[in-house]
Amino acid sequence: MWHKISFRLLKQELKRGELTIMALAIILSVTAVLSLSIFSDRLQAGLTERSSEFLAADRVLSSRRDIPQEWLDQAGQMQLQTAWKVVFNSMAFSGENMTLVDIKAVSDGYPLRGELEIADQPFGKGYVAEGLPAEGEAWVASQLFQALQLDIGDSIEVGNSSFKVTKVVTYEPDVGFSVFTDSPNVIIRHSQLEETGLIQPGSRVRFNVLMAGEPGAIDAYEDWLLPRLNDDTHSWRSIEDGDSPLSRSLNRAERFMMLASLLGVVLAATAVAVAAQRYCQRNYDVVAIFKTLGADKKQIRRIFLLHLLLLTAASVAVGMALGWAIQYVVIEWVAQKLDATLPQAGWQPYALAGATGVISAVMFTLYPLFRLVSIPPLRVLHRQLTAGNAIRWLQWVLSGGTIYALLVIYSQQWWLSTALFAGGAVAAVILLGLGRLFISASRKAGMQAGSSWRLAMAGLQRRAAQNSVQMLSFSTAIMLLLLVIVLRNDLLEDWKRQLPADAPNYFAINIAQDNVDDMQAMFERENIPSTDLYPIVPGRLTHINGEKLRDEVTKEERDEDEAEGREGIGRELSLTWRDSLPPNNELTAGEWWGEDAKPQVSVELNVSERLDIKVGDELRFNLGGDVFTVPVTSLRKADWNTLQPNFYMIFNTSTLEDFPATYITSFRLDEERKSELYELFKPFPQTSLIDLDAMIDQIREVIGQVSLAIVFVLVLVIIAGALVLVAQVQASMEERQKELVILRTLGAPGKLLSRSITYEFLVLGAISGLIATLAMEISLFILQNQVFNMTPVIHWKLWLVGPLCGALAVAILGRLSCYRLIKRNTAQLIRKLA
Amino acid sequence: MLIQAQQLEKTVDTSEGPLQILQPINVSINAGETVAIVGASGSGKSTLLSLLAGLDLASSGEVLIENEKLSELDEEQRAKVRADKVGFIFQSFLLVPSLSALENVMLPAELAGHKGAEKEARELLAKVGLEDRWHHYPNQLSGGEQQRVAIARAFVGQPKILFADEPTGNLDAKTGGKVEELLFDLNKDYGTTLIMVTHDQQLAKRCQRVLQMEAGQLSEAAQDVA
Repeated sequence: MWHKISFRLLKQELKRGELTIMALAIILSVTAVLSLSIFSDRLQAGLTERSSEFLAADRVLSSRRDIPQEWLDQAGQMQLQTAWKVVFNSMAFSGENMTLVDIKAVSDGYPLRGELEIADQPFGKGYVAEGLPAEGEAWVASQLFQALQLDIGDSIEVGNSSFKVTKVVTYEPDVGFSVFTDSPNVIIRHSQLEETGLIQPGSRVRFNVLMAGEPGAIDAYEDWLLPRLNDDTHSWRSIEDGDSPLSRSLNRAERFMMLASLLGVVLAATAVAVAAQRYCQRNYDVVAIFKTLGADKKQIRRIFLLHLLLLTAASVAVGMALGWAIQYVVIEWVAQKLDATLPQAGWQPYALAGATGVISAVMFTLYPLFRLVSIPPLRVLHRQLTAGNAIRWLQWVLSGGTIYALLVIYSQQWWLSTALFAGGAVAAVILLGLGRLFISASRKAGMQAGSSWRLAMAGLQRRAAQNSVQMLSFSTAIMLLLLVIVLRNDLLEDWKRQLPADAPNYFAINIAQDNVDDMQAMFERENIPSTDLYPIVPGRLTHINGEKLRDEVTKEERDEDEAEGREGIGRELSLTWRDSLPPNNELTAGEWWGEDAKPQVSVELNVSERLDIKVGDELRFNLGGDVFTVPVTSLRKADWNTLQPNFYMIFNTSTLEDFPATYITSFRLDEERKSELYELFKPFPQTSLIDLDAMIDQIREVIGQVSLAIVFVLVLVIIAGALVLVAQVQASMEERQKELVILRTLGAPGKLLSRSITYEFLVLGAISGLIATLAMEISLFILQNQVFNMTPVIHWKLWLVGPLCGALAVAILGRLSCYRLIKRNTAQLIRKLA
Repeated sequence: MLIQAQQLEKTVDTSEGPLQILQPINVSINAGETVAIVGASGSGKSTLLSLLAGLDLASSGEVLIENEKLSELDEEQRAKVRADKVGFIFQSFLLVPSLSALENVMLPAELAGHKGAEKEARELLAKVGLEDRWHHYPNQLSGGEQQRVAIARAFVGQPKILFADEPTGNLDAKTGGKVEELLFDLNKDYGTTLIMVTHDQQLAKRCQRVLQMEAGQLSEAAQDVA
């Protein structure tokens, strides 16, 4: 029988729109979570795919010795694509000229991710290459044309073979951001490697196998492969291992999306909670009638639980459909706009969204439901009777626990969830207190004002307890909105700052000492913006405080045997010297040298952390057989996101100036002047140029995608916030209705009433906005410091914008919600209340 | 003896200390009797009604319905007693807004698990003259019509006792009169014991017994009208 009653109640309440807010809140939370997580999943997958281009593959197996054919066969069997990339240095000759080049012998399929671009003339405009050089041909970098005085169609000799140069390589996806691939590249076919006779036992060769495929297949292969790897010779890399500005940007974007989604979920859950509370309150009379008519608690519990479960199930279903549709449309739009395809998401977002909907619907309704069930039957005679607040703690435990659980489920990070939750709890208590304080202050102010204001302030004060809770959720909603908006701007600004329109787009390296002055003069004469010229001396760091460093390190090795030998950098370093601290560097410990001539070194912060180097440590370097030891006198933070030369180790001038050095600089040459490049650098034949434009474009494209994603997140959070506001205003409606009836009956004019309502909401909104701004600044400070590694700033403008927007938004929403109430005539109102 | 009150007292805590609403009250009501409780506002009429119907518990003393002590029953058991033996009519009708007239009338029978609730409810709606309005919701009915639905609901399941709290208090004189007629007619047909709280002396006079409530004290102003 009870289920029939439950169905009937639900049917009618749905028809009359009584459950709209509650259903909307659940639908919104499911929609938001689903569309956001599918979107971010797909975007993430897309971005990873995009960034895989920087490896030219999803994974790279790399080795100093040849890689067993069996491993490639196995990869093939496991549905992975593979391609060879063997890299080594060799001398290349053309007529009288010779120079050191990086030879890259690749097989069909290369690059597995991204595109290889070539041009028909040195420094010409690149286009996507189809396939690889034919047998007997080589594609070479523009710099080689300078170094070997080549023309297209000439031959170069490498080892025992001769190759006809047919194209100019303008972009290789896997060149990476390392500026110190010091020799120009030559691309030949892997099949011709053997006949060059350059691969001998003991020669310094990197054998690489590029692999790409479905994530599942890659993981399976990884499980098969890892036990077979020898840590000394093999390394297994993915894009996440890279420390490029792009991977850092991606990381930040991912954190932002995750955080914004979290906030969206919390907002939606708040809306559900508010709506559920109101729904239960409205049913107090119904339960009292039921009980008077002889219903027991069990029946009532069942009736309303079923009621709620039906509502939840329906809303979750609608939310799923809507969420899917939204992300579909947005993704299509993004894909169109960015000319990219994004991979499909898995089943997880659906599970997550469904769980979020059910959890927030059930958990946030349990306490109101509990109160509902315990309404005394006597309420039929004494309408003011409610369930009592005896187990109020249950509400806090339930809703707090639920929010925490949602945070954990969503972020899958204990520390972040706990920090956010604890911060939120403290903030809530402070906000509640502040809200009360402001209300009582505004009451005093209101007493001096006209009658609408006086009425509004009296209303605020009378509902102080209710209002401070309401204010808490207004503040939270406004704060989260501000937070997302500001964070988005800061992130985008930060990215833009890294890639200003005049960012250097060329690195010039291998500049001979004799050419330094001439080159500087050339830059000045030609009006080409450039950075300082830095000398470079290659050298190895061999000991820290007398302790020998391991020669080469792979990630696996670090994880497995930390005890064996001290970790080193594992490659030759580019060392430099300077009198002054470089422009984009900042001292974090120790002091920069003045006139002090004693040998000393300043170490970059990241490297010092990785190698555990402190000020005062003694570092031993080996520079082509010359060994010396210097103390560390300072640590520096370098901005690696700028496209300017940066160095791990900077020495004072007297330490290195006698070593033979080459120089490096970066400069900006606009697109339309690129054709001058050849002429400009003709006087400096040894100098090699590295074109960064393709790489910069790629970063810009990725940032473009991420920015769009962030706008999408923002829109969803705004909708969630608005829903919380509406739910809150609706929740206070019943109370207002009663007051309006009395005031109308006493003859208060409609204008006075509507003004007083507007003023009340204005004040409520302004106070909420003010509190929200304060809370936002504090959270932002913590977030930027702890999560995003950004420099916190105070947003003065928001101290005006926050309260103003809060006041406007709350007043408009409140006024709209009350519109019908004010328009009704008194008789209708009384009837509605009866 | 259907209902008995023995030394019934009710005291509530207020900010100015305990306030005694009911002085010790002793009253017995026989099956089939019609009893009016009259008195000024705040005299304790409704409190007495809530104690007699088991909606509230007394501070001391005892209410017995068919010799069953309500103070020894928990809330669930008291709900059972109401489901089996008691019907209600209220001043503000207290219909469930999201149920139709028919569904409101069926409600007590359905909650008690009676079969044939719908048939019985339709018959009762016909008796109160609302057979054509069965599918209407409370907000689509006038005050008088709502109270007629409430009367039909009170008689469904044929309760032994009917408690009425100012049943015509919210209605105009004409409508009130009609509702009054209906109430007494049905009461007669079903042989129900009627206990009614009212201000209305005329209405009270139609009852076999009139009890006067004054400052928490009950006195018999017995006058046989029937």
